[in-house]
Amino acid sequence: MKSIIIGGGKIGSNLLKTLKDRGYDVTLIEKDENICRKIANDLDADIICGDGSDLAVLNDAGINNADIIAAVTGKDEENLVICQIAKMEFQINKSIARVNYPKNIAMFKALGVNETVCSTEVIANLIEYEFDSDICKIIQTFDRGAMILVEVIIKEDSRWLDCFIRDLELPGESVIAAVLRGEKVIYPRGDTQILLNDSVHLITNKITFLKIKDYMQAGGISHAKKKK
Amino acid sequence: MYIIIIGCGRLGSMLAEDLSDSGHNISIVDREAKNLATLGSGFNGLRIKGIEFDNDILIEAGIKNADYIISATPDDNINITVALIAKRIFQVPRIIARINDPKKKRVYDGLGIETINPTELSVYILKSRIEENPK
Repeated sequence: MKSIIIGGGKIGSNLLKTLKDRGYDVTLIEKDENICRKIANDLDADIICGDGSDLAVLNDAGINNADIIAAVTGKDEENLVICQIAKMEFQINKSIARVNYPKNIAMFKALGVNETVCSTEVIANLIEYEFDSDICKIIQTFDRGAMILVEVIIKEDSRWLDCFIRDLELPGESVIAAVLRGEKVIYPRGDTQILLNDSVHLITNKITFLKIKDYMQAGGISHAKKKK
Repeated sequence: MYIIIIGCGRLGSMLAEDLSDSGHNISIVDREAKNLATLGSGFNGLRIKGIEFDNDILIEAGIKNADYIISATPDDNINITVALIAKRIFQVPRIIARINDPKKKRVYDGLGIETINPTELSVYILKSRIEENPK
């Protein structure tokens, strides 16, 4: 598979290395000559020094045969324009843009660039994850919190301990996707019983997550013996 | 008419002052305060400091009611981004963008953005003057 990376910063150069290690055919485009030299010294890779939003440079990089484009420069406007060019001029459907300012994600979407990665948001979410209580943790966020994957660890005092799935009072906008018991993945049905140390995975959204969190934390010992 | 000018460099600032003097409503956006300060005290339009393609900044500049938007920054990628937002998100009736690098003309054309190309215009004028007076 042929891929092109535009932008040779920390993200671009590491992506280049990773993709090369996995045996992909990959070309990097970077504006700054010094950065190009530095990467060329470290890696035996295809590097083009030039403006990634210039059609001629993209042609040199072999965009006509490319399957995927990753625009990961530090400038959002540049990443947007590159994805627009890839789509319009070269009919590349798979292009990924790095968004530096989370605020711009909506704008990228509105202009038809659906695949975006926002490192700022990813890091903020990771930190938020670490701050979350031990009972409920956000594992993965999709679409800026429109959908999230939550992990609930079942302790001795959990409201859900020994309950059957069918008896759980779950808010409307949530569903239990899987229960992890040790190494085993259980695909939950109504008659699945939740046991101690189970890790229950829920799909929900940010607002409902807060409700579930409050509900679980309000549980306490008094509910521990409530068995059905 | 209500006109938004993006970029307060030499082209943007002169255009803003001129249009304002002719009685148009102008708001001008630039991320550098010092660029906006080059506008004389006689300029009575709206000056907005901020990222040129930021949604909130564009709304503050009045993009929802604008008749015209002129994207005249020295960065083609910013001009294209602003023009696309104006066209596809806010449906501004008329949009003109400045081409800085003549090689980028094809990108503007492909995306259906009306342009002005100062470099090409200068070349054209210089060439015709030279050929009119061959001595």
